[in-house]
Amino acid sequence: MSWPLFLRTLAWQRTRWIIVSIALFGWGVLIPVFYTAFSDVIRDLANSGAFPEELLSFGSGSLFSLPGAVTLGTQHPLAIAMIAVFAVGATSTAIAGERQRGTLEVLLARPVSRTTVYVSMALGLLLVVGTVLVALLAGFVSGAAIQDVLEDLPLEHLPMVFLNGFLMWGAFATFGLAASVTFDRAGPAIGLTLAYVIVNYFLEILGSLWQEAAWTQEYSLFHHFNSTEILGGAVEPVDLLICALAFVIPIVYALLVFPRRDLAAPA
Amino acid sequence: MTDATSSGVISTRGLTKHYGSIPALNSLTLDVRQGEIFGFLGPNGAGKSTMIRTLLGFLHPSAGFATVLGMDIVSSSVEIRRLTGYLPGGIALYDSMTGSQVLDYLARVQGREPHRRQELVDRLQMPEADLRRRVRDYSRGMRQKIGVIQALQHDPELAILDEPTEGLDPLMQQAFYGILADLRAEGRTIFFSSHVLSEVERVCDRVGIIRHGNLMAVHEVRELLGRRRRKVSIQWRGAAPGASTLPGLVDVTVDGDRLFGTLEGDVSEFVRAIASPSLEDLTIEPASLEEAFLEYYADDATERADAHESGAA
Repeated sequence: MSWPLFLRTLAWQRTRWIIVSIALFGWGVLIPVFYTAFSDVIRDLANSGAFPEELLSFGSGSLFSLPGAVTLGTQHPLAIAMIAVFAVGATSTAIAGERQRGTLEVLLARPVSRTTVYVSMALGLLLVVGTVLVALLAGFVSGAAIQDVLEDLPLEHLPMVFLNGFLMWGAFATFGLAASVTFDRAGPAIGLTLAYVIVNYFLEILGSLWQEAAWTQEYSLFHHFNSTEILGGAVEPVDLLICALAFVIPIVYALLVFPRRDLAAPA
Repeated sequence: MTDATSSGVISTRGLTKHYGSIPALNSLTLDVRQGEIFGFLGPNGAGKSTMIRTLLGFLHPSAGFATVLGMDIVSSSVEIRRLTGYLPGGIALYDSMTGSQVLDYLARVQGREPHRRQELVDRLQMPEADLRRRVRDYSRGMRQKIGVIQALQHDPELAILDEPTEGLDPLMQQAFYGILADLRAEGRTIFFSSHVLSEVERVCDRVGIIRHGNLMAVHEVRELLGRRRRKVSIQWRGAAPGASTLPGLVDVTVDGDRLFGTLEGDVSEFVRAIASPSLEDLTIEPASLEEAFLEYYADDATERADAHESGAA
């Protein structure tokens, strides 16, 4: 690993990193507020039969319990958009962006291998993804403490929530990096990674809203990060395994492809 | 580490690079010697950048092999780049960083102290105030100066410079030539790609001429210039003597008391032959590398002219 490159990768994200961490922390604080404010109303609506329960949930999350609310908080488009700033935007432009700007050849004129460049950038960006997830979880805990519902949140299971969440978002991040080493321009890399996230999200939401399409959820990484189950003490090793595989496969691909690519002069 | 077959700082043997079926370098064999400034000449698309990028490991050779500083370009690429300075053609820099930050960052990644930076900054007249400005605010010339400094600041054993004076004003070009001369005097080797013939003629010891990925010739610049044809104009008091008495003069035309021609071969013999009290004026145009260069590309010019004519027809 190249420390200067690793530190530079962090420095490039610095401003966004701070803003998104604060925003995700704030979002995490709001979730227990929503839970305490609307839980009973939503439960009454569900019990009245006026709305099917599926419509009162979102993905695998709901406001029926604090763990369900935490899942809702992690699967909400707002949280996804914020985490995707790094897991999609920063990763897919990391190497393809350098290539497009022409700075990759200035960097590779130094005594660093392409593997080193990849590893340094990947570690930097995964660290950023990990810390924004920590900010989100810290927000949940702080919000629960503020609302005095901390006993509803089994803190001992939070590390596993983090691990599962990190593997899932890390899988999107490593996919973004794999796209980044594949293309000479950032546009296709961003597009492909964004499409990957959207398809995963669509499959999860489709299956949660339409019983006949419930099987589609199995093909979504979002379905394999279920905070409700983990906080209930029911960790699914298969979920972890699937997320871990989706995390590792793009890394192996990138480490095989990037060093073998011909880097012709930038257009 | 050192390959037994290599005899230069850069040695290529049958180095070939194909993009699919399109050849970009065709079995190129070349030796660049320690302590020389080697000019690599060719028009755009001839294969100059492909050669450089292959030497630095950005491209993988399709066939043949090459060594740089005695190390194989494929297996020891990282170590080669530790000892090499590279200035890409039309260098791109990190726009959001200041000039100073760019140089610091690249020096840290290089892992060698930037011993030469201050000297280069002074000689290329890059004041501290400019180094504190963001690169996005730099002119083309300032970017090029930063490019030169980042390539040479760690005092590399070999400098590979792709169109290094692009964007530099004439004053800075002079300063840059001075830096190259000093590097050569210290025994550093410089591989210099350019299509500006006058500067190659001025600073290089030897030139390689590349065309369509083929190395057409490698010559000492002095030797190449010595072989060039020179335009000659002579004026006598009275009638001009017969052209047949003037050694090496061809394509002779006479206009009154003035004789025009093209001199091939030894200048001193020719000057001795025309020396006479009736000689009033003599002009011998300096030999230009451009003519030598164009000679190697004459076919291209003919092909282009033919294509143009057939297109017009």
